[in-house]
Amino acid sequence: MFEKLTSNQRLILAVAISFVFFIGYGYLFPHKEIKTVHNTAKQSPQTKHTSLFSEAKALVTSSSSKKVHVTPSKSDTLVVVKSKRYILKIDTLGRISSMVLLAKKYITKKGNPTQLIEQNGEKPLIIRFDKAALNKQATKIAYEATAHEIDVKNGAKSVTLIQKLPSLTVTKKITFYSNGHYSVDVALSKDVKYSIGLGQRPMVKAKMMTVEGAMIYYGDGKNKIFEDGDAKVKHIFHDVHFVSAFDQYFGDIFYNIKKDAVVTVEPGLKNNPLVYISGSKKMQLQGYLGPKNYETLKSLNPLLVNTIEYGWFTFAARPLFLVLAWLYSIFGNWGWAIVALTVLVRLVLYPLTYKGMVSMQKMKLVAPKVKALQAKYKGDAQRVNAAVMQEYKKHGVNPLGGCLPMVLQIPIFYAMYRLIFNTPELQGAPWILWVHNLGQMDHYYILPILMGATMFFQQHITPNNFTDPLQAKVFKYIPVIFTFFFITFPAGLVLYWLTNNLASIAQQYMVNRKFATLKQPDDEQSVEKLK
Amino acid sequence: MIRNFLLSILALYQRFFTLLGFGSCRFYPTCSEYAKWEFENNSLSSAFYHSFTRILRCNQFFEGGIEYPVLNNLKLCPKKMDICLIKYWLVPNKKNRYYIIKNFKYKGKKCLKN
Repeated sequence: MFEKLTSNQRLILAVAISFVFFIGYGYLFPHKEIKTVHNTAKQSPQTKHTSLFSEAKALVTSSSSKKVHVTPSKSDTLVVVKSKRYILKIDTLGRISSMVLLAKKYITKKGNPTQLIEQNGEKPLIIRFDKAALNKQATKIAYEATAHEIDVKNGAKSVTLIQKLPSLTVTKKITFYSNGHYSVDVALSKDVKYSIGLGQRPMVKAKMMTVEGAMIYYGDGKNKIFEDGDAKVKHIFHDVHFVSAFDQYFGDIFYNIKKDAVVTVEPGLKNNPLVYISGSKKMQLQGYLGPKNYETLKSLNPLLVNTIEYGWFTFAARPLFLVLAWLYSIFGNWGWAIVALTVLVRLVLYPLTYKGMVSMQKMKLVAPKVKALQAKYKGDAQRVNAAVMQEYKKHGVNPLGGCLPMVLQIPIFYAMYRLIFNTPELQGAPWILWVHNLGQMDHYYILPILMGATMFFQQHITPNNFTDPLQAKVFKYIPVIFTFFFITFPAGLVLYWLTNNLASIAQQYMVNRKFATLKQPDDEQSVEKLK
Repeated sequence: MIRNFLLSILALYQRFFTLLGFGSCRFYPTCSEYAKWEFENNSLSSAFYHSFTRILRCNQFFEGGIEYPVLNNLKLCPKKMDICLIKYWLVPNKKNRYYIIKNFKYKGKKCLKN
C-alpha cells in the first residue's frame, strides 16, 4: 500500500503516525496538575472515614472550597519554625500544617514557593487515638506551646507542645534541624493506644512515569510501595525501618522506627495510601521533610537513600546515579557530569561500536556487488537480504553492528531517563549559557534542535544498507520525529542524547579518515588489510 | 491468540521501528524475521527461547551470516500443494528436525485468486 503513495503523502503519513503516538502517549501517561500553595483550594476535600476530621470536611463541597481554611476551622498556626531553607508551621492540633521551601529553585513558574504539605490532606504528626471519644476531644482542645517562633538557622532548637485532654495529657517535644530533619518525643500521662500519622504525601510535581505514593521499608531490606490508588484495604507491617510518603522530588519520612511498632497503611482519599505508626506511652521518632537529596538523606541515615525511587528500573538507575554524583564531585556542575557520564558509557561500549564501524566501512567495498544484487531482486527485500548475506559470507565480512548493541542502548537510555526524572539535585542545576535548569525542558528549544541536527548529520555520514526505498525515506525523517519527541523532556536528558550523538559523529569521523588514508579503497588488498 | 498478538507486534516493529536500528542485523534472516518464522512454526516457549538467544548472538563477537530457524515438530499435512501456496520449505536437518526456509514464490491469498 505504501508503494503507491507519493513522497509528500508519505511524509504526511509519517507525521500523522507520530502525532497519534504522542496523543496516545499523553493519554496513557498524563501530565498531572502542578500544585502550589495557592491553588490547593482546587483540591476536593478529604472525605474518607479514616480521617479524623471527616465530619467537618464532608460539609465542604468542591465548589465552595475556595475558602481553604474550612478544614478544620480550629487549627490555627501555633508555632513557626524558620531556617535558611524552609519555614515550617505547626498548628494548634500539633500537626505540621505547612512547610515552604525557600530556595530560589523551588519557586514555581507562577512565582509561588513550593509547599510540601497538602492543605486538604492528612498532616504529618497527627495523633489518632484508638478510642473515638478521645479523638473527639483531641480535635477540640488546642495544643499549647513553649514558644511560638523558633529560629534554627544557627543550630537545632526544640519546642514542646502540650495538649491537656480531660483524662490525658499529651506532650510532644520536637527538635528541628536546619536541613529538614526533626526528632519527636511523644509522652502520654497514661497508657492509651494511639498512632501517629505520616500524613498525605507532598504533591508538588508529577511528571509522566514517575512513582508517587508511600514506601514501607521493612525486614531485611524489603520495600513495598503503595502507589496512589493502590491502597484499597488496610495493610499491616512489622519490623519497619522507615516509611516515606513521596512524590517525584520530595519526601515526607519517618525513620529510626522502633522494632516493635506496628505500621499500617490505610486507604485515604481515592485509595491513596496513608501511613500510621503505632505509638507507646513514651516514644521517639525521627522525621524528615524536604527534597530527596542523596547526600542529605545519607547523612541522616544511610538506609534513607532507598527512599529515592526510580520505579522498577531502580536497580540500574541507582548505580548510574552514584557514578553521576561522583562525576559531579569532580566537575562541580551537573551538566558537565552528564556529559562525562555519556562519554564514560561510550568508552565502555567503544570496542563494540568501533569494530562495528570499521566493518561497516568494509561494506562500502563490497557495495557494488550488493547493488547489483539489489537490482536483480528488486522489490523483494527478503530475497535481497538473503543474497547479500551470501555475498558477505563469500568475502568474509559482516559489516553490520548487530541487534544486541542496538538493543543495549535502550536500557541505558531508560535508566538515564528515570534517573533524570527523579533526581531533585538536577532541579535548578545550570549547565552553560542558556541552560539554567537541567531538570526541566529547554524553554529556548535549542538543545532538542541541536540534538535533531546532530542526529541528522550522524545519519548522513554513517553508511547504511537499506534495501527498501520506503524505509530509506522514512529513515530520513527520524531526526525530525526525535526532535519533537525530545522537546518536552528535561534538558539533562536531551543533553545526554546530544552528547551521545556527538560521540558517534566523532567516532565515525575517525573511521572515515582512516579509510581516506587507504590508497585505493576498492581494491581487494585494502579489504585484506582491514581483516 | 498470544501468538497472533506477538506476530502482529512483530509486523508493526518490522514496518516502522526497524528504522531506529539502522537496519543493522548481522544475520539472514534478520532477528525479527527469524522470530516471526519461529513463532509461526514452533511452540511459544521454544520460539521465545530461540528468538532471545538469537538476539544475544547478534553482535560483533559472533560471525553472523545465514542461520535458519529449526522446526521442532513436524505435524503439517497440507491438502493443497501449489508453488505459490507454500510459505516455507522444510529441509531435513537432524532426525525429526527441519530447517525453515522461506519460499520466495509464496504469494498467499493472491495465489488463490489466479
